[in-house]
Amino acid sequence: MAYYAEKNFFEDQQLIELVTNILSGNLTLEWYTAEGGRVRARPSDLRRGLTYEDCNLGPYGYDAIPEFVRNRYSMAARGSVLVSKLPDLGYTINRRSDVWSDNVVALYEEAKARRWAPAVDVPWAELTAGDSVREAAMAQLCTFLEEVALVAMEMPSKWVFSINQEFLELKSFLCAQMIDEARHVEAWRKRALTSGHGLGRASVSAEQALKELLSAETYPEASLGTNLLLGSFVLAMCRAIAALAETRADRLLATLAMQDVARSVAYGVGHMRYHLAHQPGKAVALAEYLDRTEHVVLGIAGSPEFLEPVVILAAGSVDRDRLAAGSRFARRWYTSAVEEYFERAAAVGLPRRERSRLPRLDV
Amino acid sequence: MPAVSAPPPLRFPSRDFFEALREAMRAERERFSRLGFFDTTFGVRISSDDGGEPAEFALRFEVFDCVGVESLAGVETDFVVEGPFAAWREMLDTIHALGAADTAHSLNTLTHFGEQLRVRYDDPDGHDKLYRFAESIQEFFDLSARLDFAYPDGSRPPAARAERQRSAR
Amino acid sequence: MSYLSTTDFTEDQPFVDRFERMLRGDLDLSWLDAPRERVTCRPENARRGLTFRDLDVGSYGFTDMPELIRENRSFAPRGAAMPEGLPDLQAEVNRKSEVWAYNIEGYYEEAMTRQWNATTDIPWAELQSVELPEDIGKAYAQLLTFLTEVEMIATDVPAKWMGRLNADFFEVKNFIATQAMDEARHAEIFRKRALSTGWGLMRASAQNEFNLKFLRDADSFAEASLALHLQAEGMVLTLFRFSEYISPTEGDKKLFRLVMQDEARHVGYGMQHLKWVLDHFPERREAIHHHLDEAENFVFGGGYATEVLEPFIILSGKGLKKENIAEGVRITNAFQLKQADEYFERLAKCGLPERRERSRLWKMIDLRKQTMAA
Repeated sequence: MAYYAEKNFFEDQQLIELVTNILSGNLTLEWYTAEGGRVRARPSDLRRGLTYEDCNLGPYGYDAIPEFVRNRYSMAARGSVLVSKLPDLGYTINRRSDVWSDNVVALYEEAKARRWAPAVDVPWAELTAGDSVREAAMAQLCTFLEEVALVAMEMPSKWVFSINQEFLELKSFLCAQMIDEARHVEAWRKRALTSGHGLGRASVSAEQALKELLSAETYPEASLGTNLLLGSFVLAMCRAIAALAETRADRLLATLAMQDVARSVAYGVGHMRYHLAHQPGKAVALAEYLDRTEHVVLGIAGSPEFLEPVVILAAGSVDRDRLAAGSRFARRWYTSAVEEYFERAAAVGLPRRERSRLPRLDV
Repeated sequence: MPAVSAPPPLRFPSRDFFEALREAMRAERERFSRLGFFDTTFGVRISSDDGGEPAEFALRFEVFDCVGVESLAGVETDFVVEGPFAAWREMLDTIHALGAADTAHSLNTLTHFGEQLRVRYDDPDGHDKLYRFAESIQEFFDLSARLDFAYPDGSRPPAARAERQRSAR
Repeated sequence: MSYLSTTDFTEDQPFVDRFERMLRGDLDLSWLDAPRERVTCRPENARRGLTFRDLDVGSYGFTDMPELIRENRSFAPRGAAMPEGLPDLQAEVNRKSEVWAYNIEGYYEEAMTRQWNATTDIPWAELQSVELPEDIGKAYAQLLTFLTEVEMIATDVPAKWMGRLNADFFEVKNFIATQAMDEARHAEIFRKRALSTGWGLMRASAQNEFNLKFLRDADSFAEASLALHLQAEGMVLTLFRFSEYISPTEGDKKLFRLVMQDEARHVGYGMQHLKWVLDHFPERREAIHHHLDEAENFVFGGGYATEVLEPFIILSGKGLKKENIAEGVRITNAFQLKQADEYFERLAKCGLPERRERSRLWKMIDLRKQTMAA
């Protein structure tokens, strides 16, 4: 066992006397005069309820978090009165601009408000299983997306433990990302297993790529790689599935998933903007990170386990003429996904158009 | 007793048309609350078939409501959805006939490659709100199925089909 | 340097060539021939929708999952065809009985459909109009400060373990994700309520922070879950029920009812997990007792947290006058005994009835009962 109490409390006479005394009605009231600052948070807009923005007050607010959190390593609530002997819980991410984004508070509130439940919010009964190659393609595509969602769920979980509790709203957003991605693991798996084809094949290239993304060394790299880079492509994938859907159930599933992924992308963009505004020197290192890691989206979006089903879904069959039409869709899809990623990267101060080794296609 | 004539149909495109959608959204508060916060201002631009001035409106959404319909000029928007009148008409005709857009006429499909409708934006952050609020935006336009409206040439969208089938199959 | 994919895909000419062939419509389609079990899952109960239980079929299901996951070391979804070359993700927990719980799929589905929103589901406007007297207001703000402080431990700890579990245990991982969100919401609602009382946040609790460190630093998932889900959250669940009972307003009662639902789910997982462990991994029994010995030491040491005990007395006695305090002590005593009773009942129900005999905490509680009776 890693950590023990400083004493055996069962043999601590001082403790027993203290508790006995209190339970005899002699309260210490040591805490009674402790005040972090008297405030009264109120909803600024009753339709919206009491948001974290409404609680951004004085020493309690997120605006008051310093760039370097040097003296708080416990889980004591931000703004509460600290006492001596608070333990160090081992946080290793203590710099605000390593994690923060100006939109993260609103995105957290949005995530809760726009929650959905795959079991009941997708009209599963409208889907009919079939032997068609289209359904087989859908099963393969959903197998692939389940694989991606498993990784996207793990990325925030891997870091949240190490992030200082002062960044409460940001950590809460990471929790929202976790549940969003759990929802996607669930939804894509359920869709695959309603197809009549079972699950398809795991993707070697996508998993190699995903493992590289997941093992990013720093949180800014992990966020850039997963939220902005991977997120851009997964968002485009959801858009494509919604656009190619033949049933309301598939359109809804892909649209609802798209909304969730778009929040992660928005955080990724906001985070990089904030990070580079406060640590402009990091632009060089992050551009180099993208130089060496950007190739992973080719391993993902270019994997046959993703791309071939997309071509088939767009074609509707495996007839040669139809496949030509399907491949045109896929080319345009890839081109616009790369383009939107470049736009987002440029917007945060990481221009990629000239530097990127990702293939460009003539459409 | 004087005869009471039915009010004239709304016109599309017009500010009144979007105001009516706004009212319909208000009546569906619970449905939109379930979809979640909806905070964006976006524009719609309907180009005229005859090369005339496009009809342009800004739609402002806050929390669960549409809080403003105004002229697009001078309004800062997250994105603008634009396209020829014929594309908008095709979308609205489908919605009116089926009760909601089918998969071939959802806003996402129509804007996907910018063939029928295009999305214009200055900042990718604003653009991404089209995706973040995709289902709310779709359901907002789907409310047009309930409106009595006519196009500039006086023609009407098709009547609702008895059995509404929204899949493209 | 972190892990690097075995291939740089932009430099891998055969990969790029194949990518371009696919984009010309020249497909290989080998995935279509991948051996697979063909199934069609359908909702057994249309009102409940399509659940994980409906997916419990053959190689895709959890019932037939082996105790040791030997094959899948990657992110391949359970039951998918696994081609050569999938990476090894170095999962540390590959034994089902270290993580599994009876009805885990049910807890997950329940969590997903019973999410609520601290921002909009509480009558904040109504709470705003209530002015609490100073003694009640301060005691309540102090209780809320404590709850805000401790809730997110139940985010950080399970999240730490999520990535270490084999991907085949995705139902557990998904449950962990819902719990992370639940706890973020709890930290949020207690913080928001504290800041809306007019008193703000009060004093941090050093004694409880040491307990949090103990929870963070558990050596195994099974130990972390035992101390977190069953012991800590079990006691917090009783505390929430008690807090609902002593809440100063109707709005506060609703708040505690909502958090109680979530907490009960986490405790449910903890109990069903411990049961599963004892049924399938009985040799862990002694290690469990050892871990509980220290967990209970921390619980007893919690007596130093006067910033938790005393607000309870004031809130349950409804004031600071002598007669209020006497009533508060009587109720708080009853609560603490109930809290301990429920904890030992849960352990017994999970298959650990001998815990009472072995536990020093039980002996101290027993002694207190005798003193009170005398």
